[in-house]
Amino acid sequence: MTSSSKPPINTTAVAGVSLWVGVLVVLSHWMGEQSHRWLPVSASTAAPLVDNLFGLETAIGTFVFGAVVSVMVWVMLFNRAEKYDESDAVPVEGNTRLEVIWTAIPFVLLMAIASWTIQAEKELGTLGPMEHIHLRDPIEQVGGYAGDRLPSEQVEVIARQWSWEFRYPGANVSSTELHLAVDQPVTFRLVSEDVLHGFFIPAFRLKQDVIPGRAIDLNITPTREGTYRLRDSQFSGTWFAANQADVVVESADAHSAWLQQAAAAPLQPGLSVAVEEYATLSGGSRRGWATVPPAPPPQVNVPGSPDQPHDA
Amino acid sequence: MTDTTLTPGSVEAHGQHSGHNLTGFIIFLCSESVVFLAFFSGYALLKTSALDWLPPGVEGLEWRTPLVNTVVLVSSSGTIYLAEQFKARDNMALFRGFWLLSMAMGAYFLYGQAVEWSGLQFGFTSGTFGGTFYLLTGFHGLHVATGILLMGLMLIKSFIPGNYSGGEQGVQATSLFWHFVDVIWIILFLLIYVWQ
Amino acid sequence: MTIATFPPEPKPDPGWSRYFGFCTDAKVIGIQYIVTAFFFFLIGGLLAMVIRGELITPASDLVDRAVYNGIYTMHGTIMLFLFIFPVLNGLNNLLIPTMIGAPDMAFPRLNAVAFWLVPIFGSLLIASFFVPGGPAYSGWWSYPPVSIQNPLGHFVNGQGLWITAVALSGVSSIMGALNFVTTILRMRAPGMTITRMPVFCWTALAAQSLQLIGLPALTGGAIMLLMDLSFGTSFYRPEGGGDPVLYQHFFWFYSHPAVYVIILPVFGIFSELFPVYSRKPLFGYLYVALASFIIVGLGLIVWVHHMFPSGVAQWMRNLFMVFTMLIAVPTGVKVFAWLGTIWGGKLQLTTPMLFCLGGLFNFVFAGITGIMLATVPVDIHVSNTYFVVGHFHYVIYGAAVMGIFAAIYHWFPKFIGRMPYEGLGKLHCLLTFVGANLNFLPMHPLGLMGMPRRVSSYDPEFTFWNVVASLGAFLLGVSIIPFLLNMVSAWIRGPKATHNPWRAIGLEWLLPSPPPEDNFGEEVPTVISRPYGYGTGLPLVEHQDEIERRLDLQEASAA
Ligand code: HEA
Ligand code: HEA
Ligand code: CUA
Ligand SMILES: [Cu+2]
Repeated sequence: MTSSSKPPINTTAVAGVSLWVGVLVVLSHWMGEQSHRWLPVSASTAAPLVDNLFGLETAIGTFVFGAVVSVMVWVMLFNRAEKYDESDAVPVEGNTRLEVIWTAIPFVLLMAIASWTIQAEKELGTLGPMEHIHLRDPIEQVGGYAGDRLPSEQVEVIARQWSWEFRYPGANVSSTELHLAVDQPVTFRLVSEDVLHGFFIPAFRLKQDVIPGRAIDLNITPTREGTYRLRDSQFSGTWFAANQADVVVESADAHSAWLQQAAAAPLQPGLSVAVEEYATLSGGSRRGWATVPPAPPPQVNVPGSPDQPHDA
Repeated sequence: MTDTTLTPGSVEAHGQHSGHNLTGFIIFLCSESVVFLAFFSGYALLKTSALDWLPPGVEGLEWRTPLVNTVVLVSSSGTIYLAEQFKARDNMALFRGFWLLSMAMGAYFLYGQAVEWSGLQFGFTSGTFGGTFYLLTGFHGLHVATGILLMGLMLIKSFIPGNYSGGEQGVQATSLFWHFVDVIWIILFLLIYVWQ
Repeated sequence: MTIATFPPEPKPDPGWSRYFGFCTDAKVIGIQYIVTAFFFFLIGGLLAMVIRGELITPASDLVDRAVYNGIYTMHGTIMLFLFIFPVLNGLNNLLIPTMIGAPDMAFPRLNAVAFWLVPIFGSLLIASFFVPGGPAYSGWWSYPPVSIQNPLGHFVNGQGLWITAVALSGVSSIMGALNFVTTILRMRAPGMTITRMPVFCWTALAAQSLQLIGLPALTGGAIMLLMDLSFGTSFYRPEGGGDPVLYQHFFWFYSHPAVYVIILPVFGIFSELFPVYSRKPLFGYLYVALASFIIVGLGLIVWVHHMFPSGVAQWMRNLFMVFTMLIAVPTGVKVFAWLGTIWGGKLQLTTPMLFCLGGLFNFVFAGITGIMLATVPVDIHVSNTYFVVGHFHYVIYGAAVMGIFAAIYHWFPKFIGRMPYEGLGKLHCLLTFVGANLNFLPMHPLGLMGMPRRVSSYDPEFTFWNVVASLGAFLLGVSIIPFLLNMVSAWIRGPKATHNPWRAIGLEWLLPSPPPEDNFGEEVPTVISRPYGYGTGLPLVEHQDEIERRLDLQEASAA
């Protein structure tokens, strides 16, 4: 096609489109900022990285969505056939240049997001969740934690149907409430006694399946004091929904005080909503379908309280 | 305008689609091979990640008799090919002979496998080794048995007068299936008996 | 001159009874599939109503926890294996032979067997509600070890029936896929080269190839699961040295491609309908068609994005993330092509067109949340939360089901021979669009806040958005009433349809409505141009005027 056959450039149209693109850019930027408010409080080193990435994606997503919907709305408003107009439109069958443009732009955008993500993950690897997977052999379970890069507190997390148990091998403490010291790196060693579970602390932006037969190490540093929820995130059977625990992040002093106090406390049954509900169910008439009976509650120094208020 | 412009292209009389049949069967075999691919990759994954692969008391698999079995099965690919060649030359007697020979070789393979199974010290519940071993050999054996049945059916049909006037009537597909079963076995043999 | 015999004299209506028997006519099978699928859709929808009823309050109060788990499992399973795949196979049966000018499918008998397996495994699945211990409860993924726990220890149990039903569904789908692929490859009308084939057939070919490659892996994985459950093997049982994660690979190797099996035909529907109701050719036909196969290729190598939190190596996560994101490129080519098609068109906002526009809106939204899920650190936070549930209901209900509704309204006149009612249709569309957004948008903030999916109870801070979602769900439940009313009354006494009420271009519109049993019979017209020649004035086939004149005459004499 020669340039002479091109329609003359319509300056009002160009101005209008540019203006609208500007509006979309502003809107996308604003949505990107807003996106932080949809997330729980950020309480770990991983959280800012995840939140910024999510904000970037929200902004780009808003722009793409806004652009597509703008075209649709425009067409629905201004390109409607008149009533009783049965004629066809101008038969444009395609345009190779446009095809190239709209293949290339998303490609570049996406690869930009991907490389940003990989970059963020490298940083996450040194700061936050970066699991090491070991096949679980008996010696390793008893022994130390070879190969960890950070001098950090070790917490062994044992998931069961349906309770969470946290062991602090250094202090000889076990608990069904997770206590962590703020700004101190911690390494969780995740094991499961029965089925798959998911170790999920939304305020930490941290999630990892707990796989029976494997021990998985996970590093994180909490950055904000408060009480958060740990939720089971990989379906684990009947009381899956109730398989939660509180996570208390406290100052280093308070934490060591807690450890000391806990070590002195006698062992007692830990929290397990499943065990309680199962007792009342099997006592009365069971309306439900079959279920695996819950494992007995772990014997712990600190059971924690079921209904304490939490920040996220 | 002429009739030719309106000649129905791909439309044949209804009920006769031997051309489609072979296309369909080849597509089916491609799809079927993915089941084996899944089992093979599962086997490799479980084996490479296992702490103790062999169940206690099991030293490994004896591979000599299975090798003989393998040779028999793989040769039957040759005999079935010869059978097809004879059929193409309308030599029905030799066709039937080699066809029957292929069946017999398949049956010998199955027999050999049954003997092997009955002499093993582990069952299909003996860990992942036992499970995958019986799954792979069993699933393949099922295919060998199916192949023999199909060949039997083709053999019987070959005695029906005028059987081949409407096309191959499955001879080609059956032989294709048989080659497929053989190729699968070669991979399986390498995976299970050679890679120990 | 052979043309004189076409179209054939209308035969007397064979009556209703053929819909209940073993019929090998693809058009009858197509309708059997669609009606059966909607029957199960109502059951699956009813279960969804129970789910949303339970979740309108934080406590687990409407149903027992074990019951809740059974219900969401059956909801997902029924919706996918008994609704969405059968309904799409119904459309394939109706559209593929008529669009390519074939008299029937390549293997009519196999076709009927594939259909009749649906009610069989459907009954098997429904029967699992009544066995001791209740139905399967481990989610539609049925991840071991939960799925092999078998609390009562009975040999016949809900989980076992579930696996059997899913395996049978796989057999049925493979039979269907063999048939569709062979038909498209071998039975096209003269002159219909592969690059003159309607996009719906391209997408069907792409989707069915995925079925052929993916389903066997699922079947293999399911066989091993059944053996673990019922015969004591330990492929996935950690105590016996098995690996539960292995199952996840088998499952997602199929079940990720399965989402493209669902959406590709819907892309086909969009590509057929936008040109008709914009009166313009499809923008960039060849790119749209080829993008389907790029999606197939990429779709096969992204399955690990469902397993990011389950313990896969970092390099693997990154690799699968990049492949997943690349899928947006060919998909974008399609989306932009549809925008290019409607741009500067002469839009007719009929019911099918409105469903397409609504579906496209929802699809782009869902695609963007899909990209968010693909990026590993974000997925780690929202995986297994309601964010994922929101993502996939947007794409499945918001885009796929709306596209299917569009197809049903568009082709109803062709295959039933009567016109659906526009007013009821538009009401249905409005309720669906509003209901779906009200139902599924709130799931995103819930997931971001950290509400896991598959929970029968939740923390009180999630109440607000859950109430909104439940109200939206009930509105969706209501939206189905105008649809059913419309279908039933239009089928019984809707105005008679002409052969081409939408003035659409395509071989199927050169057949009487409804088409005779063998479609064009021996008189298949020769295709001489690309599809979607709106506004070009080019005829699609030789002797097009003559064929249309005869159809008009026939309609006039029948009136
Ligand atoms: C029809 C169904 C369908 C479709 C089409 C898709 C499409 C996509 N899906 Fe979705 N998905 C599901 C159904 C579907 N999904 C289901 C059922 C689940 C959950 C199953 C379960 O867990 O039970 C799921 C889960 C799921 C996950 C796992 C989440 C988790 O469990 O943690 C992921 C992660 O990557 C994902 C990603 C994507 C992506 C990237 C696409 C892409 O294909 C989307 C591409 C489209 C677009 C991007 C929009 C159009 C493009 C443009 C306009 C171009 C420009 C765009 C940009 C530059 C961004 N999906
Ligand atoms: C095609 C697929 C499909 C479709 C159409 C739907 C439709 C709907 N789904 Fe979903 N859903 C899935 C596939 C689908 N779903 C899958 C795969 C899962 C995952 C399961 C898992 O985690 O394992 C899931 C999970 C899922 C959940 C999460 C459960 C959990 O994780 O705990 C929820 C919660 O709100 C939900 C809701 C709904 C709603 C409200 C609809 C509505 O759109 C439904 C609208 C219903 C109707 C329009 C019909 C109304 C019928 C009546 C009112 C009664 C009349 C009935 C008779 C006369 C018999 N679905
Ligand atoms: Cu009927 Cu080919
Ligand atoms: Cu996926």
